[in-house]
Amino acid sequence: MKFDNTLKKKLLKKLKSYMNAEAEQIQQEDDGLSKVLKKLKKKEKHLESLIASERDKDEREMLEQELQVVHSQRKKGITLLSSVRKKGKK
Amino acid sequence: MKSTLHKIMLPAILLVLAYGFWVSPDFKEIAAGVAIFLFGMLSLEEGFKAFTGGILEKILKRTTNRLWKSVSFGILSTTIMQSSSLVSVITISFLGAGLIGLAQGVGIIFGANIGTTTGAWLVAGFGLKVKISAYAMPMLVFGVIMIFQKSRHIKGIGYVLTGLGFLFLGIHHMKEGFETFKSAIDLAEYAVTGYPGLFLFTAIGIFATVVMQSSHATLVLIITALAAQQISYENALALAIGANVGTTITAILGALSSNEVGKRLAGAHLIFNVTTGLIAIAFIHQLLVAVDLISAYVGIGETDYTLKLAVFHTLFNLIGVIVMIPFTNHLVVFLERVIKSEPDRYAQPKYLNEGSLEFGDTALEALRMETARVYGKATDVIAKGLSLNKEEILSDAKLKKVIAQHARAIDYDIDDVYEHEIKHLCSAILDYTNKLSSADPVIARQISRIRMANQSILIALKDVKHLQKNMKRYIASDNPEISAEYNRLRQRIAKVMRRLEKIRASGETSTTSILSLDALKLTLEKNMSLLHERMNELIRDGKVSAEMAISLMNDSNYTYSIIHNLIQINHNYLKSEEGGETEAEHMIALNREEIGTVLADDREITEYR
Repeated sequence: MKFDNTLKKKLLKKLKSYMNAEAEQIQQEDDGLSKVLKKLKKKEKHLESLIASERDKDEREMLEQELQVVHSQRKKGITLLSSVRKKGKK
Repeated sequence: MKSTLHKIMLPAILLVLAYGFWVSPDFKEIAAGVAIFLFGMLSLEEGFKAFTGGILEKILKRTTNRLWKSVSFGILSTTIMQSSSLVSVITISFLGAGLIGLAQGVGIIFGANIGTTTGAWLVAGFGLKVKISAYAMPMLVFGVIMIFQKSRHIKGIGYVLTGLGFLFLGIHHMKEGFETFKSAIDLAEYAVTGYPGLFLFTAIGIFATVVMQSSHATLVLIITALAAQQISYENALALAIGANVGTTITAILGALSSNEVGKRLAGAHLIFNVTTGLIAIAFIHQLLVAVDLISAYVGIGETDYTLKLAVFHTLFNLIGVIVMIPFTNHLVVFLERVIKSEPDRYAQPKYLNEGSLEFGDTALEALRMETARVYGKATDVIAKGLSLNKEEILSDAKLKKVIAQHARAIDYDIDDVYEHEIKHLCSAILDYTNKLSSADPVIARQISRIRMANQSILIALKDVKHLQKNMKRYIASDNPEISAEYNRLRQRIAKVMRRLEKIRASGETSTTSILSLDALKLTLEKNMSLLHERMNELIRDGKVSAEMAISLMNDSNYTYSIIHNLIQINHNYLKSEEGGETEAEHMIALNREEIGTVLADDREITEYR
């Protein structure tokens, strides 16, 4: 019987989660953060395109402000993700 | 006066009914039919309530969260049940139990009108007639047995089955009662040509459907009369239009026992079917040509009027849905304005019940729903407290314009609503959270967040009450500077309410809702510092008196607190729905210091520009 790489990874991941509850929690945090970061990146791009097409000054200012917030959130998220991964390696 | 009238009315109605029963057995049958039907509606609603916060709600939310989905839901369910009336009354029960919103309900009704046309095809094409009323008795038997079971869900299913059984039984008795009238309907007697005939036959169609309690039965009658050449083809079309309008009677009857949301849905059903009927009458000649073209295209014979009738039925319902879809939101707003909610004095919790305390997840969902309900009421109070209208705040209209239109302050007793509606509900929620205390840290955290959300609601309302005093005095002041400042405060709160509503609306599709609140927090901080700068300028230049300045200073703090609490309510409410991603969002969300840093960066950028 041959296992392909993705299947192997999946099985190993499952085995790991059975063996270690802490590792599972770290994995969950990693997954959650990665997903949210992806969504934030998408949101950032969407906001950039909205700003480019917005003509109303007030509205553009608001969008720019939101972009700044999303940018800071991503920065914070990336830092958190790297620390979660470091914790996982230990 | 009102209570005296009420005391006289009830015995009078009972007496009239008793006399009617004595005089006419048919009247007795019809009245008993209506009573059984209404009892069925109550039972159905009770049954669906058992599923709030459970799987049915999740399925319904998922299958009706977009207009196209709710329309498809209506088409599919009506095609399966072969009764648009039944789908309408079940939808009214969903609404009454709070499982879906009015907009979704309207979508289902639109879909039901298309779904009902499949009946015409089955009758005309295959001579089929699905008769689900035959299941009434078994439904009642199974239903009652299930009601006596302990499990909440089995009990719920029992109530639903009993409700459906009673609905069918009620309709059956109404039909029986009307039997004598039915024999009086000889369509050939009324044959008239042209527009007078069109209107006359539409009216007959409405009457026949009300009498027979089924547009399907009317369609069968029409097809039979048409096949026997008792009536002309044009008259048959008019009858079909009438049947479509007449079928709304079941929903209207069903709404009698429902709350205002159910009544609104029945109103939507009536408006939709009447509008569709009027469109069909106005464009009858064009529709006839279209029916001929479609029939020729799909291979229906030129004289096969029964199938052509099915084409017509489908076509005009489709046109109706296409015409009405762009007006769905307007329709919802209109109905909410016309059919107002009864003043909810000493409001009772709608979703919290002792039974669901046993089920952690269901209880938590009930808490969330009750909190959302209180929040809905609170935002209404805040809007009125600001002498504004919530619907207008949440609309797409320019807020400056909305505020200009409400330049005059209105008298609104926040204390009264607070005492009789909000406080009672919030304390019920807090009581429930105490009973629900859980050892599971995740659930305990969620409960605590819901508690905090409710506390924020109470604080926000108290603040609006304080703000209202001076605001009423100053929004229409002779001093343009102070009125502009107070209107700006109103605008800020309204802007945040609108933004929060958008975030909440996207909550189901975007999981970054919690993070979207950070931008609002930043705007709040930024606006506050701008306000302080401008206030100093006004005082320095002597544009406002010292008394005005003190009021403005206090009220800007109240405004800050209202906005802060509105954000907090949503923050805690959103966070109470915990999952892997929500936890991650919680971790990423910026704290006050980090918001401060972004604000400082923003200032630097502005200065650099």
